[in-house]
Amino acid sequence: MRKFILKRLLQVVVILFLILTILFVLFRLAPGDPVSRLVDPNLTPEEADHLIEQMGLKEPIWTQYLMYLKNFASGEFGYSFHYGEPVAKVIWERLPNTVMLFTTAVILAALVGISWGKIAAWKKGRFQDILLTIASLVTHTLFLPWLALLLVWVFAYHMEWFPITGMISDEIWLDPSSGFFGKLVDVAHHMVLPLATLFLIHFGSYLLVMRSSMLETLKEDYILLARAKGLSERAIRNQHAAPNAWLPVVTSVGLSLAFSINGGALTETVFSWPGIGREMVFAVSNNDYPLAQASFLLIAAVVLMANLVVDVLYAYLDPRIRY
Amino acid sequence: MAAGVGEKIRRALLGAAAALLCLGLAAGAARALSDDIIRVGVLEEPKSLNLWLANDTWSQRVVDLIYEPLYVHGPKGQELVPWLAAGPPQFDAAQLAYTVKLRPAKWSDGSDLTAQDVVFTGKLIQDFQMPLHSSKWKFIKKVEALDKHTVRYWLQKPKAIFLSRTLLTPIVQKKQWEPIAKSAQGAQKPLQVLLRHKMDKPVGTGPFMLASWKRGVFVYLLRNPHFFGRNQTIAGYPLGPYIKGMILKVFGTADAAVLALRKGEIDYYWNSIQPGYIQQIKDDPEVKLFVNKKSAVYFLGFNLRKAPFNDVNFRRAVATLVSKEFIIQRILQGEAEVMHSLVPPGNEFYYNPQVPRYGDGLDWNQRVQTAYQILKKAGYTWQVPPVNASGEVVKGQGIRLPGGQPLAEFTILTPPADYDPHRAMSGQMIQEWLRAVGIPALSRPMSFGAMVQRIKDQRDFDCFVLGYAKLSLDPGYLRAFFHSAMDRPRGYNMSGYRNPDFDRLADESENAMDPAVRRQLIHKMQAMIMQDLPYVPLYNPLVVEGVRKNRFSGWVPSLGGIGNEWSFCVIKLVK
Repeated sequence: MRKFILKRLLQVVVILFLILTILFVLFRLAPGDPVSRLVDPNLTPEEADHLIEQMGLKEPIWTQYLMYLKNFASGEFGYSFHYGEPVAKVIWERLPNTVMLFTTAVILAALVGISWGKIAAWKKGRFQDILLTIASLVTHTLFLPWLALLLVWVFAYHMEWFPITGMISDEIWLDPSSGFFGKLVDVAHHMVLPLATLFLIHFGSYLLVMRSSMLETLKEDYILLARAKGLSERAIRNQHAAPNAWLPVVTSVGLSLAFSINGGALTETVFSWPGIGREMVFAVSNNDYPLAQASFLLIAAVVLMANLVVDVLYAYLDPRIRY
Repeated sequence: MAAGVGEKIRRALLGAAAALLCLGLAAGAARALSDDIIRVGVLEEPKSLNLWLANDTWSQRVVDLIYEPLYVHGPKGQELVPWLAAGPPQFDAAQLAYTVKLRPAKWSDGSDLTAQDVVFTGKLIQDFQMPLHSSKWKFIKKVEALDKHTVRYWLQKPKAIFLSRTLLTPIVQKKQWEPIAKSAQGAQKPLQVLLRHKMDKPVGTGPFMLASWKRGVFVYLLRNPHFFGRNQTIAGYPLGPYIKGMILKVFGTADAAVLALRKGEIDYYWNSIQPGYIQQIKDDPEVKLFVNKKSAVYFLGFNLRKAPFNDVNFRRAVATLVSKEFIIQRILQGEAEVMHSLVPPGNEFYYNPQVPRYGDGLDWNQRVQTAYQILKKAGYTWQVPPVNASGEVVKGQGIRLPGGQPLAEFTILTPPADYDPHRAMSGQMIQEWLRAVGIPALSRPMSFGAMVQRIKDQRDFDCFVLGYAKLSLDPGYLRAFFHSAMDRPRGYNMSGYRNPDFDRLADESENAMDPAVRRQLIHKMQAMIMQDLPYVPLYNPLVVEGVRKNRFSGWVPSLGGIGNEWSFCVIKLVK
């Protein structure tokens, strides 16, 4: 196993280096530059050139590439053209917000999806199965911004249960008497609607994967044996069928958790959530190369690591798998 | 056992959700901050509060409330109002020099504003060739502090923008910026170091100062206790600020911001409200709408470097076919004004209403007939002309250039609908109008960055629909848009318009220090451009803004809306 992990880690390093290079080339090939969007007649061509020069974009491409590798190695990823701050700082300020929202959503959706997927498979063809399958298909295919705005309109605007959008309330965060618990509750309160949106969109996929995997498992001989032994229905479902149906779900959840660091630009935009997804969109559309490259690289690194973790988990969950 | 655990998890989750809801509702009811703090909705947070890096709209809005210039435009537009200056600049024609006396003012840290700060700012801009500022300082030979409160500027040659732009440069504190500049000057790329300086506590002379900034969520500005204008009347406005502070709350979408305004989470939405929301807001008794003109222009541009766009008759025919009224009524739902010149009518001093107009007041049949006559006279022919022998308008087909070659299909580049639906839709409508007379136009939305690169840098295009959302009140941009010297990569003469007569007028206007003389020249330039039509001006959107009626009153409307320094200095809490 140790040899396998070391080998995979080496692969991860090589792939990351390739991704690093591809990202550099892709952003240089993208149309425009960081100054081209500044359509302001007060910016003279000489000033625009001067600005480009200061950003280091007039250096030969190889010099830029070496500087990029150096910045990557230093862990700072260079400076954002628009924020004028180290990219690492911009990312670290927003990443926890994204992880907090999206990881919670994935875990919640997975817990409920797996649990209801078991029930749907167990009650195949019956009312609960039909209801759960239809519900998950409907919610999974909803257009996220539409669902998000609908929830905001009903629960925040009309019923006034929640704030319209945002992550924190200025009332509480600017009040020196607000304690840690008050701020925690405030964030949780703001999280309910985005969490509900993400939950509704995602739980269906886990439910359907679990249901389908369970249906396969239920055909196995050991389930027949368990019944012959006289075990209760609940014991057969939860202790014999479900654990053997987990593998595809683990892959799905693992990758979802990894992708959760990219956030959902749409969710973050609609709910004014100050996360990394919105920054990525901003960075790409404004040709902020250092910020965009670092964001994509971060996603690539986490997804690669998540794949490795899922592979290792497979061996743990299924004793037949050995590396 | 496993079922028991699952059940416990489900119950725990449900319990946590219920507790969260109750606690959240209780937290939402709390109101800790003072009532006289205005909550303003914005669509983006500032990218930086370093004045020299803050070149996007949202950053500029905040830094404009912190840093101040010597003169500002009055709320009515063109007139220059002494701000940090005590009075109008005194001109010494013999020495080509201006003297400005400063009024007593303090920085937000309590220290005095002096002439040395003004001199330092100018030198900083010149030494670092500060983008967006250096062009308005490069003709300044020398700037000197005559005494603690008097500054003198020596000009190399007369420049009109000295009065309209140079004197409007925001002043920075020497004490704060001198060490930063010194450390930057030793670097390999001094400007880069200066732009990367993180400004956590900007010291300014403006009505507000930074209190706190929660990244991506809100910016909290407090009233500057040392603001010079407090209890003074300037341009007829008794200045405060009478509010304790401002919270600029960031909303990811206009939909959320409008809902927040209607719900009362914000008191003012600092952006123009989209036409689709206006009727609902008009019906809301809690919200008041302000409609103001804007200094902007949206236009159809041609590439004059290639046929048939190098033919003024073709351009005039296209301009005749374009129904600006239709675009405004159907696409912008009436929330815009027709543009007949490239200077917006709101800029009353420089706007020339006496320019050639095309298709003005004509119906569709008259437009086609007029355009057909223009093209026919210029030698264009058709397989099926758009006007038949009996004078009826029909669908034209197979247009040929005066030389007899068929007119190949060409593209009208527009930004995509998600970036600007109005420009994308306008492009499509223009395509349809041109196709109706047999001109094979194709509207093609393209990502904004790619579009600007093709037009401005590569010059690889046929036609385009673009706009300038925030034109300065000084119409120096006409020179930037159409002077031959600006027909180069990154230059703003995107059409490639070259006319020595225009160049001469533009150069004269640039050097005209007398506003009346300059006005005449600018009028002539507008007429010449509308005669030659490198651009067809289309529309200028109105700024429609909403405020909560029961919160603050006394808003000052100006060109560009009520979100201006005058408003924030005079609004008061509604009792």
